[in-house]
Amino acid sequence: MIQVNAIGDACPIPVVKTKNAIRDLGGPGTVETLVDNEIAVQNLQKMARQKGYAVTAETLGPDRFKVTMTVGEGGQAPAQDEPTACLVKPAGEKNTVVVIRSRTMGSDSEELGTALMKGFIYALTQQDQLPKTILFYNGGAYITCENSASLEDLKTLQAMGVEILTCGTCLNFYGITDKLQVGEVTNMYSIVEKMTQADLLVSP
Amino acid sequence: MLRKQRSWILTFDETVDAMAWERYCETHGLPGRLIPVPREITAGCGLAWKAPPEAEAALRAALAESAIAHAAARILEV
Repeated sequence: MIQVNAIGDACPIPVVKTKNAIRDLGGPGTVETLVDNEIAVQNLQKMARQKGYAVTAETLGPDRFKVTMTVGEGGQAPAQDEPTACLVKPAGEKNTVVVIRSRTMGSDSEELGTALMKGFIYALTQQDQLPKTILFYNGGAYITCENSASLEDLKTLQAMGVEILTCGTCLNFYGITDKLQVGEVTNMYSIVEKMTQADLLVSP
Repeated sequence: MLRKQRSWILTFDETVDAMAWERYCETHGLPGRLIPVPREITAGCGLAWKAPPEAEAALRAALAESAIAHAAARILEV
């Protein structure tokens, strides 16, 4: 049995180290890999399934996982020059853009829609995977301005690294340019770029 | 993800009651805010009032005063 320490290693290093260990086995045997994140566990499991190795994963504690791969008789070791990709991307790498187009979530009841939008922005702050950018345009521009009930949540999101962008044309149209309280002013070119380059667009 | 805080959570059976309670609290300067009901309470949807635990007594008194219908209250890490 070979034990691989991949604590602190980012993808694809845990997979690379594990493949090297399997080659070192030179035949049937077991490789145990210690990692510190779920993404590494998922990547190792995917690699094992692709190669036909038996695989188990065990949580040892907070940020400690052990992935055990067993290479059976006839199991093929990975080739020396085989490319290794991150099959599962870390959550932070996904470019999610949230687009807020009005003060309300949905139409019909304005009162309910306002409460839902507040709840939506609050719930964003509670996610493990945060969006990269939140775009506000048309009536949505009011949400980043004075007297918005979501300012505290938006400042929290900004502090956690989320980019908050509000359409300048919209702020100007509604006469609230000087009321902006969080994030930056943006233009249509930037809005189009953010939207077209997104992996995922979310619009409540 | 944000670090969870110990909070007093008040739930409602009806959305309109949650919204009426929000208006009441705003009018009376009572602490807290409306949030979607935490998953720890129910997988269903709905709105809840989240406030600091130390505000519980004042909010319970206001609840009685307002006569706004509510479901339950509990302390939760959210």
